[in-house]
Amino acid sequence: MTAEAPTSSLPAAMPLRTRAMVEFVLENLVWFILAIVLAVFSATIPHYFQLSIFANIVEQSTFVGTLSIGLALVIIAGHLDLSVESTLGLSAMTTSILFASSGIGMGLTLTPEWLAIPASLLASLVMGALIGASNAFLVIRLQLSAFIVTLASFLWVRGLVLVMSHGRSAQGLPPPLRSIAITNFLEVPLYAWLSVLCFIVFAFILRRTPYGRHLTLIGGNAVAAFRTGIAVDRLTAITFILTGAIAGLAGWFLAIRTSGASANLGTGMLFQAFAAVVIGGVSLKGGVGKLSGVYAGVLLLSSINTAINLMNVPAEYTLIIHGGLVLAAVLLDTLKLAIRQRLA
Amino acid sequence: MKKLLKSLLMAGAVATLSFAGPAAQAEMKGKIYYMVPTLLDEFQTESVKAIEKFMKDVGYETQTLNADNKADVQQSQMNDVIALKPAAIVLAAVDFDALKASIEKARAAGIPVMIFDRQIVSTPSDLTSVAGTVEIGYVAAGEIQRLLKEKKGEVKGKILQVLGDPADPYTLDIQKGFEEKMKAFPGVTIISKPAKDWEASNAGTIVADQLVANPDIDLIFVHAAHLAVAAVASMEAKGKKPGDIMLVSSNGAPVGLDLIRKGWEQVEVEQPLYAQAAALAMFADKIVNKQPIKPGKYTVLGLESELAIEKWGANIKIPGAAITKDNVDVPKFWGNLKAPTEPVKSVE
Repeated sequence: MTAEAPTSSLPAAMPLRTRAMVEFVLENLVWFILAIVLAVFSATIPHYFQLSIFANIVEQSTFVGTLSIGLALVIIAGHLDLSVESTLGLSAMTTSILFASSGIGMGLTLTPEWLAIPASLLASLVMGALIGASNAFLVIRLQLSAFIVTLASFLWVRGLVLVMSHGRSAQGLPPPLRSIAITNFLEVPLYAWLSVLCFIVFAFILRRTPYGRHLTLIGGNAVAAFRTGIAVDRLTAITFILTGAIAGLAGWFLAIRTSGASANLGTGMLFQAFAAVVIGGVSLKGGVGKLSGVYAGVLLLSSINTAINLMNVPAEYTLIIHGGLVLAAVLLDTLKLAIRQRLA
Repeated sequence: MKKLLKSLLMAGAVATLSFAGPAAQAEMKGKIYYMVPTLLDEFQTESVKAIEKFMKDVGYETQTLNADNKADVQQSQMNDVIALKPAAIVLAAVDFDALKASIEKARAAGIPVMIFDRQIVSTPSDLTSVAGTVEIGYVAAGEIQRLLKEKKGEVKGKILQVLGDPADPYTLDIQKGFEEKMKAFPGVTIISKPAKDWEASNAGTIVADQLVANPDIDLIFVHAAHLAVAAVASMEAKGKKPGDIMLVSSNGAPVGLDLIRKGWEQVEVEQPLYAQAAALAMFADKIVNKQPIKPGKYTVLGLESELAIEKWGANIKIPGAAITKDNVDVPKFWGNLKAPTEPVKSVE
């Protein structure tokens, strides 16, 4: 059998600069789509093109965005974590019960007052990390399916929120915590900047540190990674714990934004986070993906939500649009793969 | 082996006695199932306490089942409960239409069905106790007209209406009542947006976006108090102070009352939760024993209420109230969480 010559001479004839440019476009496709979407919305939707709206988009990306960081890490490692949304809810409720002054809030006051910031942050991170650790134990030590384990956590953690709150809400966080929501820099509140910082830090960790590189290898082929001497179980466990802690952080942000928590706070964010991760180019099979793409995916979803808020489009179309976007992302991913194969 | 078997049998007997104990001791008249739509909402969680307490006052044990806002789950729960043949079922439906067949099935099996809070008119039931969701919209409209007139000299301006989940008939009914009463004022523009899943941050996002796109919004009307909290957080983040934009909410939850005290909210339209629950208990004996109910005026926890025989059955309507800063501390409002301690008595 003889190999058929390529029908197109494009790869061979393509100059190096053009090839590099095509690679760049493929690598950052979601950002280009985001730019196009923003341009179209700005041109067609009244009031859309203004700094305050773009600031809103960044702000509203905070919660799903932060949640997506952890979700992307665990998916890149070749697993799943369905518990992140409930962990976010638990963390928000914990912060609110401890520090809110109304409803079921205990109105805890520390001296000096600003200590409420590190104390509530620590409580949220620890709460999230503990749930992550329990997931890690069941998945790694007991070899249970991550899907089932984290699905169970999704349910029992939300149940725990209900037990803690008895269905009631805690509102009215103290001024130091609220200041993180109402202090703006370039029209964007501090917590949104903190979320962007998280993206930058974890993008660096994923790309530039042994942990990140090993995580990608584990997700690509755990057996091969193990044979090369990588501590697969330990790194996977760390990833689950990190994912939980990051979800805790997202819950802390959310409580600060809404100045408290109700028992259903954060419901529906899991699927948005999944959509953002997939749109951002993270493969659900593991081993592929980067956080810059995920952030673009989150911004894309948020910009569409904002467009729907400003247009006279019924809200139920949001889900159809999100579903369409996820499908489009998967198709684009296949297209990217095909183009790359031709370039190779 | 025999010893072990004997111990197990004894333990089983003790366990059975201890489970059966409380009901037997209290000599309850029977068990009533309360089908609550969700427990992720303060109104519903307080309704569980209220119904359990008032039914106990008149001699019934109440078992609550939570449907997690899923109509199919509530349908399955209804099927299970029908098989248990309880004295009666109290239903706060997730979906008004979806539960119609379940109500018919229960009644065909001889189990009376009482409807709580969420009125179902498409099929007969044994007693309905409501404030009226459409009526909540009416009360809100009246208060909003007053607020706009006080601020602008006439009823005109821009209103942002933040609904709950777009699939929930409860919020759609409030919207229907509200918009029906506002139609008479062409100078009023209403922008309506739903907060999916009744989730607070979704409401916060809508308010944040709309404040940028429509900085001339005069008033925000949200369909639940916990959404009002997120609306206030977004207003505060945009540099607004209490009173800059008027805020009206419905259901009368504790957080809404707190917002009134802090000056952020002007009116909370209360659902008379305690009275709605007490009305069911007052008529429980008649319903369970399938005795006729007389139409007319009844006093339920001090509220004058009208019982009428409608085409879907006996219907007691208890008026909702507008809570403002002048009456926010009145204990009868369920948002103050001071449940009546006096026992409810059965209607003779």
